[in-house]
Amino acid sequence: MAETILEVKNLKKYYTQPGGVFSPFQGSKRIIPAVDDVSFYIKEKETMGLVGETGCGKTTIGRTLLKLTPVTSGKIIFNRKDITQLSPNEFLPLRRQIQMIFQDLDAALNPKMRVKSILKEALTVHRKLSNSEINREIDELLEKVNLSKSELTNFPGELSGGEKRRVGIARALAVGARFLVADEPTSALDVSIQAQVVNLLKDLQKNLGLSYLFISHDLRIVELISHKVAVMYLGQIVEMGMSGRIANEPRHPYTSILWSSLVEKKSREAAKVSADNKKETWGVFDFERPHTGCRFAPRCPVYEAKGRPSICSDPSTAPQLQNIGHAHKVRCHFPL
Amino acid sequence: MSQQPVLSIDDLRTYFYSRSKQAFVRSVDGISLEIEKGEMLGIVGESGSGKSITAMSIMGLVSTEPGIITGKIKFNTKSVHKNLFPDIKDYVRVNRSSGKIMEVYKDNNGWQKKIDRIMHKIRGREISMIFQNPKISMNPFITIGKQITESIMLNTGIKNRREAKERALYWLDRVKIDSPGLRYNNNPYGLSGGMCQRAMIAMALSSEPEFLIADEPTTGLDATIQSKIVDLLAELKSTIRVTTMLISHDINVIRELSDKVAVMYGGTVLEHGPARDVLSPDHREKHPYTKALLASIPSEEHIRKKGYLQAIEGDVLDTINIPAGCRFYDRCNMVTDKIGEMCKNTEPDLENITSEHKIRCWLYSN
Repeated sequence: MAETILEVKNLKKYYTQPGGVFSPFQGSKRIIPAVDDVSFYIKEKETMGLVGETGCGKTTIGRTLLKLTPVTSGKIIFNRKDITQLSPNEFLPLRRQIQMIFQDLDAALNPKMRVKSILKEALTVHRKLSNSEINREIDELLEKVNLSKSELTNFPGELSGGEKRRVGIARALAVGARFLVADEPTSALDVSIQAQVVNLLKDLQKNLGLSYLFISHDLRIVELISHKVAVMYLGQIVEMGMSGRIANEPRHPYTSILWSSLVEKKSREAAKVSADNKKETWGVFDFERPHTGCRFAPRCPVYEAKGRPSICSDPSTAPQLQNIGHAHKVRCHFPL
Repeated sequence: MSQQPVLSIDDLRTYFYSRSKQAFVRSVDGISLEIEKGEMLGIVGESGSGKSITAMSIMGLVSTEPGIITGKIKFNTKSVHKNLFPDIKDYVRVNRSSGKIMEVYKDNNGWQKKIDRIMHKIRGREISMIFQNPKISMNPFITIGKQITESIMLNTGIKNRREAKERALYWLDRVKIDSPGLRYNNNPYGLSGGMCQRAMIAMALSSEPEFLIADEPTTGLDATIQSKIVDLLAELKSTIRVTTMLISHDINVIRELSDKVAVMYGGTVLEHGPARDVLSPDHREKHPYTKALLASIPSEEHIRKKGYLQAIEGDVLDTINIPAGCRFYDRCNMVTDKIGEMCKNTEPDLENITSEHKIRCWLYSN
């Protein structure tokens, strides 16, 4: 039985938005629940996919796992230690094992450093290595990510999208990471390059035993690479389970809409539920129409079909994530 | 006689000069396409294959030197019958040595003035464009309603402000924006991505163009919103029947919407034909590049088996050092001994396989 490498318990991250110049008179600060009571765990050599629309809090979760963003409350247990309680110095040795592949590599790679110095910096930040050791390790890294040696003298600006992505992955591996948070690693890549990156991530998992939190809004890729998938909506996980079950037998109306909206699927099969076409409620937190009860209710076709039952809109009976068997959890009063 | 195509491009070449590499970037390198009336032509290809530059060239929006150096674009509609690039030869002088372009002299100011004079009556009125990023393409300080009204008053016969506003509201409703009366007074930043894209489509259609260029209309939107925009485009296609050139790197979007497809790679068209033939995985005769592209999309089978994706090795062709032979030669996995020499040394022509289907590959050449 594989060991649990990461466990997140009741993670909350609230951002406060200053109310502007007149806030002293109005006296209210706006609170945005970017991540609201999220719990999950990831085992060794396992990939968990995290999907959802823009602004649902996917990236925020990724950032809190690396302590790049402080949490409001909750526990993140990595290697049996709650990293939210650790001081920066105590966290440092764990940082080596948990790394991130950033979404925008034009911003994440220093444009004034050559590829070699980027990798060298990552290798030497936690360890003292001699020059020959550095060269050897760089060679090994290049081999792991299929980069040619001639790229070492290039600047990031001279690399193509796929190569930049490989450098980003090599840098995360340089420190000896065991757990990678991959934040949209395939977005903005062409399909042929995207396939290369996906294959590389799969290879690395097989050979090095890595675990991934794979954040993406590309549902097909998530379904392909992940063992289990969590679907997020407005800061909450609305459904979680094995990837095949989430994709083929979704129980939450939102998941069903999400997967049926895949363009290529549409012509072949009619969706179980179809979203109201004219209404385009926002996927982000909306202050003008604060939600009570189920957050998805304003967009939910089931809620409409059942004649807007009060159990969905009443704050005291907001749906909880409940187990429905086969490691499948859903947050809905009327699962499909 | 069959109708004349609305737009026919003949040997369009658009180059840029890279100062750091001291060489020409051949972004668009000899494209010939025809678009019939009411047709939706999809253009697929990886980034850097010259899709967007083709669109920009048609609109006359390429201002970087040297830009368009050869080509003819014939535009035929009810009111306009014109070559959009007349006398381009007078403005451009090209020095070649051993087939390579060494120098290009272009009177860019003169050319820009000339093309602006021609395009002034056409841009926005006859040819409209939907840009990739609606929030950047619209003026953030002016409400969307006002921007659409402005476009209507400028480009159509309606000169009365009240009538124009009514028309704008009609188009906002036509693209299924919720409560158009309210949204009319929203600035682009007050709208979500999907709604802003709808407003952009409304603006492009409000001048009732003969020809519409949609450059990556669904890129960067969430899956749910993306599918709704695709639905909208499909609905508009069947009701308004405006001739459209749809550019996207998302093959599924192209497959869903277009009648014909052109597959671009390294500045040329490698395959051109009816969408059902070019993009169906079962159709036997297709360019190795198209085949590889289709294979690299995760299919149901891949997902079930959790298998590896079939990647195309190597990187997208850089259009500075274009090889003498086939542009796809380095990445092609279907080169046989019989044609290997030709693939390496001579570029194949775009040849007809059937009357409608053309492929640029030695495999299908006689």
